[in-house]
Amino acid sequence: MTVLRKASSLYLLVFLVVCLAGSAFAQEITFSSTQFVPIEEQEFARNHLLAPFTEQTGIKVNLICEDDGPFFDRLTAEARAGKAVSDVFGTLHGNVPILVAEGVAADLGDITAIPGRTYISEFVNLGQMDGKQVYVPWMQATYVMMANKKALDYLPEGADLNALTYEELLEWAKVLYEETGGPKLGLPAGPSGLFGRMLHGYLYPSFTGYQVSAFNSPEAVAMWEYLKELNKYVHPSTGIWASMSDPLLFEEVWLAWDHTARLTAAVREKPEEFIAFPAPAGPKGRAFITVLTGIGVTKGSENFDAAMELIKYLTSPDVQVKVLEGTGFFPTTLEAVDHIPDGPEKILADAVSRQAASPDAIVSLLPVGLGGRTGEFVPLYVDTYQAIVVMNRPIQETLDAQWALLKDLFESMGAEYPNP
Amino acid sequence: MPLLRKIPLPVLLLSPTLVFLTLFFLIPLIQVSGLAFQSQDSVFTLANFERMVRDIYFDSALRNTVVLLILIIPVQLVLAFGAALIVNQRFRGSTFFLYIYAIPLGISDLAAGLIWLSIFTERGYLNSLMHNLGVLERPLIFLSSLTPKWMIAAIVLTEVWRATPLVMVILLSGLQMIAKDYIEAADTFGCSWWQKVRYVILPLLKPSIQSALIMRTMLAFQMFGPILVLAGRQLPVFASESYYWYTTVRNPRVAAAYALMLMALSLVATWIYLVVLRTREEQVGVM
Amino acid sequence: MRLRKVAFYAVAILFAVWTILPIVLIALAALTPRQELYSWPRQFVPSTISLESFQFFVNSHGVLASTGRSVIVAVATVLIALLVGAPAGYALARFRFRGKEAFRIGILLTRMFPTSLLAIPLAVLYLKTNIYDTILGLAFMHAALAMPFVVLITSSLFLKVPYDLEEAAMTLGCSRIGAFARVSLPIALPSLVAAGIYTFVLSWNEVFASAVLTVHNRTLPAHIISTLNVSPLNFKFAGGFFMIIPALIFIFIVRRYLLSMWGVAINK
Repeated sequence: MTVLRKASSLYLLVFLVVCLAGSAFAQEITFSSTQFVPIEEQEFARNHLLAPFTEQTGIKVNLICEDDGPFFDRLTAEARAGKAVSDVFGTLHGNVPILVAEGVAADLGDITAIPGRTYISEFVNLGQMDGKQVYVPWMQATYVMMANKKALDYLPEGADLNALTYEELLEWAKVLYEETGGPKLGLPAGPSGLFGRMLHGYLYPSFTGYQVSAFNSPEAVAMWEYLKELNKYVHPSTGIWASMSDPLLFEEVWLAWDHTARLTAAVREKPEEFIAFPAPAGPKGRAFITVLTGIGVTKGSENFDAAMELIKYLTSPDVQVKVLEGTGFFPTTLEAVDHIPDGPEKILADAVSRQAASPDAIVSLLPVGLGGRTGEFVPLYVDTYQAIVVMNRPIQETLDAQWALLKDLFESMGAEYPNP
Repeated sequence: MPLLRKIPLPVLLLSPTLVFLTLFFLIPLIQVSGLAFQSQDSVFTLANFERMVRDIYFDSALRNTVVLLILIIPVQLVLAFGAALIVNQRFRGSTFFLYIYAIPLGISDLAAGLIWLSIFTERGYLNSLMHNLGVLERPLIFLSSLTPKWMIAAIVLTEVWRATPLVMVILLSGLQMIAKDYIEAADTFGCSWWQKVRYVILPLLKPSIQSALIMRTMLAFQMFGPILVLAGRQLPVFASESYYWYTTVRNPRVAAAYALMLMALSLVATWIYLVVLRTREEQVGVM
Repeated sequence: MRLRKVAFYAVAILFAVWTILPIVLIALAALTPRQELYSWPRQFVPSTISLESFQFFVNSHGVLASTGRSVIVAVATVLIALLVGAPAGYALARFRFRGKEAFRIGILLTRMFPTSLLAIPLAVLYLKTNIYDTILGLAFMHAALAMPFVVLITSSLFLKVPYDLEEAAMTLGCSRIGAFARVSLPIALPSLVAAGIYTFVLSWNEVFASAVLTVHNRTLPAHIISTLNVSPLNFKFAGGFFMIIPALIFIFIVRRYLLSMWGVAINK
């Protein structure tokens, strides 16, 4: 029976592999990350960040880059089973409260004492939850606007690209629509797009002065009316886009708003074609968000010291500069934060620093204190957009209904409304 | 093994499957579906179902789930039956055609979504083709919130393309087992090709059609990868909403409520198939 | 008669074109130089063949290792699913017993619930039983995912294997198992192959369980394919195409067994 022989030798092979995989490695730590997910970033991280680290310290790193879903599921299960297979986690600030609620994150102690770098103190504070330091500020990013240079010919008269207002953006999008015969403004409103951040962190504070507290105010109604008007000139495929690089490169749109890391592919592919600039300003100012990613150690990790070694390495000023050059994520230490990269990333870095330095800037801080329900915050804004702009439901009524849910979210978690 | 002999053979044959499914599915399933009836503090509540039903996506999710199924399954069944009949003719090169027809089987829903996305985007293959043929001056936007019918069409095409081979393979293996005598008898009576298909093949193929339908319907209810790629959340279905509530909102309780709705729909569909396509063995009984 | 033959071939070829065209497109796109991907109108045939994206993908860390692992997991999954599931399918087809309908629906019921929601309890189970992050553990999970359908397909097929044949073999001195192995099994081979193909591709493409249940032993989809949708276009195509190739080879190898020696041709 050759089939039987084949089958049994296959079984043998399987068991051999299982045994091999089970045997202990030298010092090795597992690093689960929701950052560095695109394949080129993964390669960069493995070859240019982690390989030198292993050379220096002898600690091997098994990097796992994945979407939020499996990331949360695995870390949660490991915490519930009391077996920390992952040692280091790296993710968005907004994801960390959910991890803390599941008991995933260990206390890192006083991170300001780590020699050789000064972490930006607001970021250190953000990393403190339940009275513990649960992450080290790792990388930061923000959202800016990007345009194909062809669109500059249609810029409304008197408008300054670096001090654009939302009214001018509307005018610009409208002229583009009429002159080129199709919508040329795009937003990442797909299921994995980050458009929700634009609603709560950019538009709301720019129009109403607050992210949450003025949710159904008259100013908010005016904002939604503006958005309905703007939507006429927004590309109708907007609802499937996760990242604006491809639509910009295809020239499906000439004008877009997105996360800096999700725009780098466009400037790298065709640096001479694109220009980046700060987000527009509304009646209350030019609001924007800083995206912060944190890196921490899992509770119960048997390799705490090695894990901290990796974290110190990744957040050292030198490595942060390397990360900026390689992936477009910005440093979180005072020593490295003013570094301006060469190459195409400079286009984005310039826009980021102009946005931060604009006189009417409003920095939107991320909501804190929502704990395990943090994930419900942004979808409430996106749903409101869907209801009002796409489904065309009455504005005030929808806002009142959504406000009830939003208020309940903050009240039931005992959280304060973010300022602004 | 005297003890083993005492156990009836069917139990012996069924128990491994039973153990497997209980361990891997039934226990976690009971745990998770219980969440649908619990508040955050583990108190019994129906609030999750209320939140679900009131959600702005619920109505369209219910509609789309049913509509997509009704559009996809019959087309798949007819195409797969046709393809299986073609291959079963055993003409020269029939294994070649069988191979070609079976290829999409190996393609994940994610890859299938990507392939068809590259066809339907504004600057994609379909518009390029029409542009090259001179039919189009400027590209059409198919995947747009303004053209939900196009989006549905794109999803149906993707699913039909990807999953028809599965149905074909099941029907084909069923076709092979129809004993020669039946066909020969039909031939002696001078039946036409259509009569053979209608009165001999289809009735004898019923068990296979039944399993193919049950299987495809369950999988189609759960399919959402291509939907997210081609339509985002503009065309919500129960499966995608459940996934969204679970991974993005991180609210497993409402996600479980959606999952239970999905399960109920699948159960109804399966029951219908089992009743409508009752097979002979169940009426007469063997052994 | 000739006209009918022409029509027959026309339909057969038309269906083949519909099936193969999207694959050809993704293959061509995977071999297109990245600068050309963004041109309009899109080129169907690239000006030159570029292996750049494809090579970058294949040479990326862990791609080849996880590909090998995926194949091992998929083959192990097929063996486990058939060994465990086919007997149940046979039992459902051959025997009458109380609760059979309940059993049949119960088996299916387990797959009516979206499996991605079961991730956390499953991972906890795996961690506690120490089969977490093992190839065999993953194969068990994939086999469980395929099992309801394996039972369903095989039972509908064993139903049609004439029982008289088995009985005849038994009167000729075969044991029950011998009769099954010599008579029913060869007849039912196409159905086992059909179930096997389904199981293989299920395991090959499965993301959720692999992503949550493994750390070192990640299969290809968990390792990298699931991240393609946020990668630049050229890698989407290169990765998408790479992923298709092993499945193409597997289906090619087993396709003959789908056409059994015992079946009949339906005369035209």
